[in-house]
Amino acid sequence: MSSVITEARKNLVCLGAGFMSGLVAAEVARDSHNYSVVAITKGPWWDYVSDFSTTKYDEWGVGLGRKYDSPLPVQSTTIRNSPTQFALPVRRYTMPIQYHALGHGVGGAAQHYGGTMGRQGPWGYAQQSLTEAAYPGKLAQIQPNHDLQDWPLDYAGYEPYYHKWELVYGLCGTNNGSPNDSSGDLNYPWMDSSYGSKYPMPPHPLTPVGTQFRDACLATSPPQGAKFTSFHPFPHVSSLASQPYTNVPYGVPVNPCVYDGYCGGNCNYACETGAKANAAYRTIPAAMATGNFKLVTNAYIFRLVWDATTHTVTEAHYYDAQGNVHIQPGDVFFNGMWGYNMIRIMLLSGVGVPYQYSSSTGTGTGSVGRGLTNGYAPYTGTAASGTLNIGANSYSAGNASGGSVDIYDLMDDNFDHTNLNFIGGAQIGMGGYAGGGPGNITLAGNVSPSNTGVGGTFKAKQKDKYLPTTTNVGATPFAPDIPTYDHYVDLDPHYTDIYGDPLSRLTYDWTANMYNGATYLATIVAQILTKMGASNVKVGATPAQVHNDWWGHHLRGGCRIGKDPTSSVFNSWNQHWLSGAPGPNIGSNYFAAGEITNTAGDTVPSGTHVAGPQSWRAAEGIRQYLQTPGLLTP
Amino acid sequence: MSKTTRREFLKIGLAAAGGALAASGMEIPLFSGNNSSMQTQLSNANTQLTNLQNQLKTVTGFLTLSVNEQALLEPIVETIIPSDSTGPGAKEAGVIYFIDRQLAGDYGQSANMFMDGPFIPPTQNAITGVPTSARYQDLYPSLPTLIDYSGTVVPRIGSGINYQYALNLRAFWKAGLEAVQNYSTKTPAYGTTFQRLSSANQLALLADLWAGKPSVFADDHGTNIRPVDFAYELSFMTWAGFTMDPLYGGNQNMVGWQYMGFNGVNLGNAYGEGLSQKDLMVANTPTRLKPASLAQYQQAAAGGA
Repeated sequence: MSSVITEARKNLVCLGAGFMSGLVAAEVARDSHNYSVVAITKGPWWDYVSDFSTTKYDEWGVGLGRKYDSPLPVQSTTIRNSPTQFALPVRRYTMPIQYHALGHGVGGAAQHYGGTMGRQGPWGYAQQSLTEAAYPGKLAQIQPNHDLQDWPLDYAGYEPYYHKWELVYGLCGTNNGSPNDSSGDLNYPWMDSSYGSKYPMPPHPLTPVGTQFRDACLATSPPQGAKFTSFHPFPHVSSLASQPYTNVPYGVPVNPCVYDGYCGGNCNYACETGAKANAAYRTIPAAMATGNFKLVTNAYIFRLVWDATTHTVTEAHYYDAQGNVHIQPGDVFFNGMWGYNMIRIMLLSGVGVPYQYSSSTGTGTGSVGRGLTNGYAPYTGTAASGTLNIGANSYSAGNASGGSVDIYDLMDDNFDHTNLNFIGGAQIGMGGYAGGGPGNITLAGNVSPSNTGVGGTFKAKQKDKYLPTTTNVGATPFAPDIPTYDHYVDLDPHYTDIYGDPLSRLTYDWTANMYNGATYLATIVAQILTKMGASNVKVGATPAQVHNDWWGHHLRGGCRIGKDPTSSVFNSWNQHWLSGAPGPNIGSNYFAAGEITNTAGDTVPSGTHVAGPQSWRAAEGIRQYLQTPGLLTP
Repeated sequence: MSKTTRREFLKIGLAAAGGALAASGMEIPLFSGNNSSMQTQLSNANTQLTNLQNQLKTVTGFLTLSVNEQALLEPIVETIIPSDSTGPGAKEAGVIYFIDRQLAGDYGQSANMFMDGPFIPPTQNAITGVPTSARYQDLYPSLPTLIDYSGTVVPRIGSGINYQYALNLRAFWKAGLEAVQNYSTKTPAYGTTFQRLSSANQLALLADLWAGKPSVFADDHGTNIRPVDFAYELSFMTWAGFTMDPLYGGNQNMVGWQYMGFNGVNLGNAYGEGLSQKDLMVANTPTRLKPASLAQYQQAAAGGA
C-alpha cells in the first residue's frame, strides 16, 4: 500500500537531472558550505558501457521505439497552429525523430542530441533594441504582433559563464580565429572562444565537403551590404569529445568519440563511450564525489507547493515507482526540466502568473508560457542545393555534425537589413556526416504521398544508396524566429498524463521572419555552392510546408528571463521574480534554466548552448541566496 | 511478377531465415580438429545441420497474421519492394515475418503510444461542445467547460499527430487489410481479390490508396479509415522490414543492407578489414563494407564466434 513519505529537507532541490540541473547540483554541492543537494528525475540512471555499448546499434528500437527515451503513454503533449484550433495530441514516435523525443533519466535529452554547441553572439542578446536603433519600425512591419525582448544581460555578462561551461562539458573548436582569415575586419572573437578563453579540445577532422565549403567561402565575395570583406569559415563547435579529456575543474575523465555514425541522424543515438557531453558523464559524478548529493531516479514530480505569503516554493511532490507520494522540502528549488515540462509543472502548481492570450486584443497578460519560439524549422522556405563530385561513406561513419564547417557571417546584423524584410540571419554549415541507418534517413522517413515508396522504380533508387560517388549538398537557411503574442504554452483542456494532470498544449506556427530570411539567404548560399564546384545548383521552395512539423522540437522561450517582471518569469540570475504579482518583487527561492528560459537567439537549432551559461549564473545566484535570501541585484 | 504459391513462399521464407541464422555468426565447426577422423567430422556436421533445420522450423511461422491476411499481405509487400533484376526484394528479406512480429508485439499493441481519448480526426473542420477534462476544471474553475474550435491542424502523413484512431495498430491493420481487399473486389476496374490482380493493377491499387481515391475504404463491418493513412503504414513497415536489423525477423540474410550498401553494425573491422571509422568519415570515395548484424556485433564483442 502506498503512503506519503516526507524526505529530509535539503538546501537545494533540483527538478530533473539533465544538463542544467547537473551543473547547478555540482556547483552548489561543491560549495565550501557543504550544502545538501538532491536531484529528482523521472527516468533511470544510464551506464553508457552496459546500457548502450551492445544494444544502441538498433535503428528500429532507438529510432522508432525510442527505447532510451520518455514513454508517451506516461506523458505526451498537444499541438496546434493557432489559438482557435483544437490541439491534437502526439500519439506516436516516428522515423525520423519528430516531436517530443524527450530524454528519460539522468543526462536527459542530451543523451541523444547532436552536440552542436557554439556561442550566441552579442547581437542575439539585444535583438530588440539593436533592431529598433538600426531600423526603426522594421520589427513591427515584419511581425506586427511581436513580443521580442532583450536579454537581461549582454554578451559580456555571459562570457565568463560560457568559458566555464565549455571547460566542464568539454567542447571542441578552433582557438585561432577564422582559418586563413587575413581580412582583419569582423573576426567574431566571441564565436571562436578567444574572447579571453580557449576551447579545451581541437575540432573534429574535417570531411572533404567541409574542406570544400571552407575554401569556397574564402573565395566567395560577400553579399551587397555586408559588414565584412570576406566570409569567415570555422570548424563546427561540438560537444562530442575529440580526444581523451579530463574536465576542468571537476576532474571527471572523458572518452573520445569513435565516429561510429550511430550518432546524429536526426539526433537518435545515445553514446557508448560517453563522448557526447551530458550531465551523467560530466557534472553528476562531480556532485556525487562531494558526499552532499543525492540522486532520486524513476520519480515523477507532479506538484510544487507555492507559499503565497512568503513567495517561496516550499516542497516538491513526486510519485515513486511504487506509487508512494514523496514530499521533498527545500531552501531553494532549481527547475532544470526539459522544455515545456518546466512550464507545465509551474502551471499545475500555481507558480508565477499564467500567460493568457486574448483573441480580442491580439495580445496577452502574464508570463508563464509566453513567447514560445522554435529554433529549427525545415520546410519554412527556400532551399539551395547542388551536387558535388565527392564520394562518401554515407552509412555509419560520422559523428552528428562534427567534421563540418560553419559560417556566422550571414547571421545577426552582419549585413545591412535596411532593404530586407527580415532581421537576423542563419548560421550556415556543411560537411557533417551524421551517419544513421537506412530507415531513418533514406526510406521510411521519406515515405509520403509524393514519394510513396512503392514499386521497382523507387526501389532502384535505393540501390547502393549508402555508397554515393557524388554528394548532394544544400541548406535551408532561416532567419531567427520572433516571439509573438499568439504563440505560447498552456495546459490542454482535454488530455491528461497517466496520473490525470493536464498535458501541456503548444500553440505555434512559423513566423514571417523565418520565411523571408530563407528566401533571401538561399540565393547567397547558392553562390557558395557554385564556388564549391557543385553542379545542378538550384534555388527553390522546399516541397512541403506542413505547419506543425516542428522537427526535433528545438523550442525556445515560453518561460523567459528578462528585464521586466510583468512580461518575463526570471531575472538576470534566473531567479523567479514573481512577475506581475502585486506588491514588491522580493525575489523567490525558485530558479530555473533551460532552452525555454532563452528569450531569443540567432544561432544553431538547439538553445542548449545558450542556456548552459544561464545555469552557471543560476548556480552563482543560488549560492548567494543561500547566504542572503531575497531578490538578487543585477 | 512471378506468382509464388503459399507453400513455395513458406519454403523461401524458411530458406531466407536459414541464411539469416548463418549470417548471424552461428558458426558450424565443420572439419575442425586435426586428429578427428573424416567420419566423425561428417557425423558432427550432419548433427549440426539437423539441429539448425529443427531450430529454423520452430521459429518460422506467424504469430498474429491470419491466413487471409498472410495471403493478401504477401503480394502487397512484394509489390512495394519487388524482387527484380536490381536485386532481392521483400520476399527474400522476409518482410512479412517482420510485420507479423511487430503487429504481434508492442508495435501492434501501441504499447508506447499515447492512446487516451478523445479521438478527433486530424482533418476535422469544426468542433463544438467538446467537454474539458475534469482535472482541468479543478485547476481552472473560472474557464468555460465547453469550447468551440475552428478545426484542427493538418498534419503531415506519418507525423506523430497524424494517427488519431481509437484503434491500436494491430486493429488498424486488421481493418486496413480488409479495406484493401474490399476496395479491390468492389471496384469495377479491379473486380477481384488483390492476389488475382495483374502486377500493373496491384501497383495501381496501391497508388489509389496514396491518392485518396477510394470514396469508401472500410473493413467488412463498416470501420472506416483514411486510405492514405493505411498506405503510409504499408510502405513504412515494408521498407522497415527490408532495412531493420535481422533480429526483428526481416532483412533476412541482410539482403536489404547489401542492396543499399549499408554496413549494418560492421564498424570497419567486423571481418578483419582493419578500417577506422574516423578515416571512413573523411574519405572522398566510398568503401563497401560487408554488413554485419547486431547479433554478430554482440557475439564479437563478447569474444565469441
